[in-house]
Amino acid sequence: MNSSDHLSRRTLFWLLLTNIAVLLPLYDKITVATLGICAICFIWRLGIYLGKVSRPPRLLVTLLALSAAITLALVSREMGLLNALINLLILGYALKYIEARIRRDVLAIILAGYFLIALTFIDHQGMGNVLLLLPVTAINTLTLVSLYRDDCSAATQSWLTVKLLLQSLPLTLLLFIVMPRFAPLWMVPQMKSASTGLTDEVGFGDISRLTRSSDLAFRATFDGPVPPPQALYWRALVLEDFDGKHWRQAPTTKALQHKVNLLKPNRTPPKGNSRSYRVIAEGSGQQWLFAIGNAFSDTQGVFNLPDYRLYAGRPLQQKFQYRVQQYVNAPLHEEPLSNAERERNLALPSSVNPRTRALAQQFVTAYPQPEPRLDAMMRYFNQQPFFYTLTPPVTGPQQLDDFLFETRAGFCAHYASAFTFMARASGVPARLVTGYQGGEFNADAGYLSVYQYMAHAWSEVWLADRGWVRFDPTAMIAPQRIEQGFDSLFAPQDSYLAGTAFSGIRSSAWYNQLRLRLASLDYYWTVWVLGFNGERQQQVLRGLLGEITTTRIAFLVLGVMTLIFIIIGYSAGLIALPTRQPQLDRDFRRISRLAARKGIVRATGCGPKDYVQQLIQHWPEQQKPLTEWRELYLQLKYAKLSPVTQRITAKRFHRLTAQLWLQLLRTAPRAAAESTPATLSATNR
Amino acid sequence: MMTASPPFLRRWLHQWLSRRIPAGPRQRLSHRSIFILPSGFGLMWLLLTLLLFLFGTNYQNNLVIGLSLLLASVFVSAILHSYRNLAGLCIHALPPTEVYAGDTVAIPLKVSADSQLYQVQLGYPAGQMMTASQISSQPQIIALPVTTSKRGWLTPGRLLIESRFPLGLCRVWSWVDLDNRILVYPALRQSPLQLQGHSDDGVHSLHHQPGIDEFSGLKSWHPGESLKQVAWKQYAQGRGMLSKEFADPQGQPVWLQLAPALNAIQLEQALQQLCWQVDILARQQRSWGLKLAHQVITPSAGEPHRRNCLAALALYQPTAEPKDE
Repeated sequence: MNSSDHLSRRTLFWLLLTNIAVLLPLYDKITVATLGICAICFIWRLGIYLGKVSRPPRLLVTLLALSAAITLALVSREMGLLNALINLLILGYALKYIEARIRRDVLAIILAGYFLIALTFIDHQGMGNVLLLLPVTAINTLTLVSLYRDDCSAATQSWLTVKLLLQSLPLTLLLFIVMPRFAPLWMVPQMKSASTGLTDEVGFGDISRLTRSSDLAFRATFDGPVPPPQALYWRALVLEDFDGKHWRQAPTTKALQHKVNLLKPNRTPPKGNSRSYRVIAEGSGQQWLFAIGNAFSDTQGVFNLPDYRLYAGRPLQQKFQYRVQQYVNAPLHEEPLSNAERERNLALPSSVNPRTRALAQQFVTAYPQPEPRLDAMMRYFNQQPFFYTLTPPVTGPQQLDDFLFETRAGFCAHYASAFTFMARASGVPARLVTGYQGGEFNADAGYLSVYQYMAHAWSEVWLADRGWVRFDPTAMIAPQRIEQGFDSLFAPQDSYLAGTAFSGIRSSAWYNQLRLRLASLDYYWTVWVLGFNGERQQQVLRGLLGEITTTRIAFLVLGVMTLIFIIIGYSAGLIALPTRQPQLDRDFRRISRLAARKGIVRATGCGPKDYVQQLIQHWPEQQKPLTEWRELYLQLKYAKLSPVTQRITAKRFHRLTAQLWLQLLRTAPRAAAESTPATLSATNR
Repeated sequence: MMTASPPFLRRWLHQWLSRRIPAGPRQRLSHRSIFILPSGFGLMWLLLTLLLFLFGTNYQNNLVIGLSLLLASVFVSAILHSYRNLAGLCIHALPPTEVYAGDTVAIPLKVSADSQLYQVQLGYPAGQMMTASQISSQPQIIALPVTTSKRGWLTPGRLLIESRFPLGLCRVWSWVDLDNRILVYPALRQSPLQLQGHSDDGVHSLHHQPGIDEFSGLKSWHPGESLKQVAWKQYAQGRGMLSKEFADPQGQPVWLQLAPALNAIQLEQALQQLCWQVDILARQQRSWGLKLAHQVITPSAGEPHRRNCLAALALYQPTAEPKDE
């Protein structure tokens, strides 16, 4: 252990900074107890830095570590294994930090720091977060640099760090592109996070919660033209059980979803015209996915459920990308409705909503055929004074009766619920479907954004020859809502931005422009960085190499790496380009080389004056130009000339050199004939 | 590293090194002489990189994978930077100061480099590592301590030059042999002056021994002799460089003599005592001669004479064959 093992004050300072920088982004995962210990460690360390306290006794640190680990182990079940592990690592980080004494301790802290930064990435993948974490990585590296360069200013250390990181970025990029991507190698504990978006239970108040959220639900990119808004009914959930207040999924559907990884449900895709698109769903903590109509996905980890929905194999903790084929003309109808299904989709709780049932009976008598009857029901919503509002009045225990005959104000869940109920009461199998409707098109990047406020509910009715057919009674009340999208219908105050500071400026053009720009940036980030999977990789490599072969990839890697090495080597001063000699020296060398070729070798240590004297002895007839040449050389080399004279003299010297060179080339040196070059150079007569 | 390996491996390594980096008083480090391997921390770093890659793969998280690739790339850049931090380092051994056995000698080295180098550690196997925090094109002198144990020639061995700059991920090092050796004088052991007269008592009593006390004549001057003894008057007369010869009157004890027939420990002690006496005499600017078993140094004075005597004491071998009578 030598003197270099002791930590410099600068390093201790960077360590203080690193500690905060690494732990701050993890704020949402730290438990209160961990936070307390971290704070104590930090304050103690600050005290050590300021010279107020001494290092804590080892026993105390060990005791603290043990008790904290045991506590975490006890609560790990309720906080989630991954969260417990993260907290454990944070504790280790903080405790190691407080007792750091020698270089080795700091090295351990720095490595743990990188790991904590990686943990931050688990559920913070936004571009902003990464921009924030890059400096954190740099500070962590800076602490490391300060260990090995402690004798210079903080600015120099920072510059060295930034240089190292910048020089490493091209290789990182290359590796990111060519490094093969694997499927998860083993199951890992997932973050326990609240699920967002739709729920598998719809009551009168549920969708209105979503219509107040401007969070992104998913994005979709169509290979061809984007379908019109009224065709964008993104199905997510099919709710078949109604208890008078809430719509829920059927138990069989739930059971299938529960064992989806075991049963691996699948369908054969129908034939016919299809439209394909890609969806990037945001992490929702749920497993249901979003697709239009008769959809089929061949993406790994996506299951095609019998009710034409797509379902993910595991909860979406982060953005998830899947491809969808939508069979445009295929109905939601492949097998005839089974008896069990028919019963389930006709079932209604007894003695609920008697007035609604009576209304349904009136429709049955007026329209014996199902299809005209359903159309009439739809028209009913249009002809009666129904209002669309996100803040409907409270209804009594007979919800639908109150809604249809008293309040007549509500949103999609009310209308869809009432319509489905009436359809069932009139003897037509019907079910409630929830999902999203519409989408905001971003022309910059060419994708649709679907936000939580686009959550919607509608009905699907079974018609014997057409299968499940969509009926959206909400469209009858407010047709604009379906045709032009949600935003055009409501003033911002009414809806999702109520109460936020953005309400006023949201309508301004530049704000919208900026919002769209940022949204497309985030989209590219999602597609090219977060969603850079094996498929994208193949696409990029094919674009770069034409055809993907091992040889070509090897050449690409070698080529780029050589380039990077040359650049780093050059900037680090390993490779120096040969610097051009000044014209003066080159001219002088030109003559001396010619003389040497003719046998007149310049003796080592012989100055230019003596050398020219030597030349004159061998070429006496050239005495005059040689003398002038020497004088010019000495002037240019040693005298301080004004720039103008300098230029003129240099030109003259250059021209004289050329003449001399010719002369010397033509004539042989005297006395060169009878003696060897070696003796000539030695004899200096 | 060199000391921890078994002897045959060490021998082989020495042979290989002497072929790879031949000995020479002036060494310039280049790719031929620089070795580079990941340090323990570097290996941990690579392990972390791998761990993060697995972590990112299992969570299908490209950002974690990106971080792991960034760390891997930093490692690669660090290799180049580490190499650069020794490449072009010039080392040149300077003559060391004199040293008595048991003392620590500082071996001065002149180091410079084409570009700025940072945190370079240098050290001999037997000594401590010294850190040069910066080395630039301006030569600087670094003294490396080496502890001595016994008299005679000390070969400090190969000089270890090591650096972990900039991130400690790689250990870059070189073993260079500067072809330098240091003469270690016997340790000083305090003793009273024990000057003796000429060994052959009486016979040569008329003769004078060369000394510094009494002028006895002129002889031609040889380079190396003290300028104090040059006969400047005669030089001014154009008779060339002559030196004045002095002589000590015969019979005055001027000889330091090694006691014969001793065992090894006693011999060393006697040598150490002689060493002490030589220094005392030199400090008093007196003249003395030294008689060892097979070597006689005629009485003289001055610094070269002192060094001569100390060297003879340092290299004294009791078993050596006599060179002359």
